[in-house]
Amino acid sequence: MSTSAFIRINQVAKAFATPDGGTIPVVDPLSIDIKEGEFVVFVGPSGCGKTTVMRMVGGLETPSAGDIHLDGKRVEGPSRDKGMVFQSYSSFPWLTVLGNIRFGLRYRNDISSAEKERIARHYLALVGLGQFADYTINRISGGMRQRVAIARTLAANPLVLLMDEPFGALDALSRERLQIQLMELRRAERKTVIFVTHDVDEAVLLADRIVVFSARPARILADIPVSATLPEKRSLDILDIPEFRQIRREVLALIRAQETGLEAAE
Amino acid sequence: MEVTPRKAEAEQSPARPDRKSAWRDLFTFRAAAQPRQELWLGVGAFLLVLVVWSIVAESGLVQPQILPSPRAVVAAWLRLFTEAGYLGDIAISVARVWAAFLASAVIAIPLGILMSGYRFVTAVTEPIIDFVRYLPVPALVPLTLIWLGIGEGSKVTLLWIGTFFQLILLIADDARRVPKEFIETGRTLGASDGALMKDVLLRAMLPNMVDSLRITLGWCWTYLIVAEIVASSSGIGYELWTARRYGKTPEVFAGILTIGIIGLFCDQAIRMLHRRWFRYLQ
Ligand SMILES: Nc1ncnc2c1ncn2[C@@H]1O[C@H](COP(=O)(O)OP(=O)(O)OP(=O)(O)O)[C@@H](O)[C@H]1O
Ligand SMILES: [Mg+2]
Repeated sequence: MSTSAFIRINQVAKAFATPDGGTIPVVDPLSIDIKEGEFVVFVGPSGCGKTTVMRMVGGLETPSAGDIHLDGKRVEGPSRDKGMVFQSYSSFPWLTVLGNIRFGLRYRNDISSAEKERIARHYLALVGLGQFADYTINRISGGMRQRVAIARTLAANPLVLLMDEPFGALDALSRERLQIQLMELRRAERKTVIFVTHDVDEAVLLADRIVVFSARPARILADIPVSATLPEKRSLDILDIPEFRQIRREVLALIRAQETGLEAAE
Repeated sequence: MEVTPRKAEAEQSPARPDRKSAWRDLFTFRAAAQPRQELWLGVGAFLLVLVVWSIVAESGLVQPQILPSPRAVVAAWLRLFTEAGYLGDIAISVARVWAAFLASAVIAIPLGILMSGYRFVTAVTEPIIDFVRYLPVPALVPLTLIWLGIGEGSKVTLLWIGTFFQLILLIADDARRVPKEFIETGRTLGASDGALMKDVLLRAMLPNMVDSLRITLGWCWTYLIVAEIVASSSGIGYELWTARRYGKTPEVFAGILTIGIIGLFCDQAIRMLHRRWFRYLQ
């Protein structure tokens, strides 16, 4: 394993306590090295432990074994270095759209308040919500709320962006638009991203690299270097090219095998 | 599709529904609110009670000693104000309620939030709180008298005991109900524990907390009357009890109505503030 990894997940395992006093293994010891600027997508059968792995990287869950390093520092708990975008709406209803994005900067004391205002407005425009700055959260659509969450997280300037099925609750059209927007944002920002999704098309479209997990307890089934075959700059047209369909087939086959395995076991 | 601002604004003020369907909606399961019709219904029901009361009392079916007429009650009320210095009684009662209520709130809000956040605080305080919470307030009257005499201290303390131990649990529950995502979002944006409680938890729980406070203020009045009946020489409860002793039923009614009116007024005022402060919830 190279020591230059930006995020280093080293022999990390997780078991949760069950109500009857036992423990249930959710993640088997696994290791992943992620380079700075890499866009890594986690896929795998439902309930396999993707969210758990991501939450451990975010410091929101403590590994039962192993350790995680981000930029050379051991992850000990949540911090501004590890930005999270949740699936469910996590924007604050008592703030406006702009107020929520400002909140991402609230605990940064490395910059002046004038600079904070500039950054907040920059990300507001970047996610295309310029016209909605003063709207309250309950008056904008689900897709817009996710854009608020993304802008707020980016404004905090984290080292890594952790996104857990951020577009899962959206309709197909909004999702496509946000996927394109995320690809553009990412090219502009060069952020390291870990992204969890159920949607294999989404995974192949966005990823530099896809990590396929097994059914619970999670192991790594495959680590597919998507950017080795697909161009870095992609559009939705890519869904039709043979290389795309090849990777997609490969990922789907791996997940399907796991899910039929699950059914057979039950 | 994206909503343009103008369209969203148009959606905010839908065409006014006709009156007939508004009345029908009142009988439809979980239909939208009809503020105007609901106000009329509320006022109407109130007036109906008043009319029935008048008819029964004025017809002479019931002795005035048992049920005085509304006219007699209004007369008694005016007498209380002009002859017995009732305004002073009302003022002292309101002052006792608010003193106890504010003292409860000022301690219960921070402590309730700490209880929701730290297991240590819950572990230490919950058994005591649950113990005191089940003590009926009247049972504590003798003790507060022994300790604090019959001054204002004993009355405010009694009200405080009656409300604080209930309020703190309500506040802790309000804090616990704040979605985990809000807390975790705050944390991943770099908030410290203190900032998290002040900027996220408190803000998120505020609408529910104001409701909890409103309910607790009502309980305060219940205990006030107990305190004033047992150990006081002023206040609405004292006047109420004195009137009974001299068989002045109209004055008793006037006292009860006074409490009801003050309660109704406070409750509606807080509800109105709630709607204004938390417009973002709509
Ligand atoms: N706090 C917890 N306590 C106990 N069990 C948990 C806890 N969190 C998750 N689990 C269990 O761990 C397993 C993996 O959960 P996780 O949320 O990581 O899966 P996932 O891959 O993200 O699933 P999905 O694709 O459905 O989101 C599940 O079986 C879940 O029930
Ligand atoms: Mg998940």
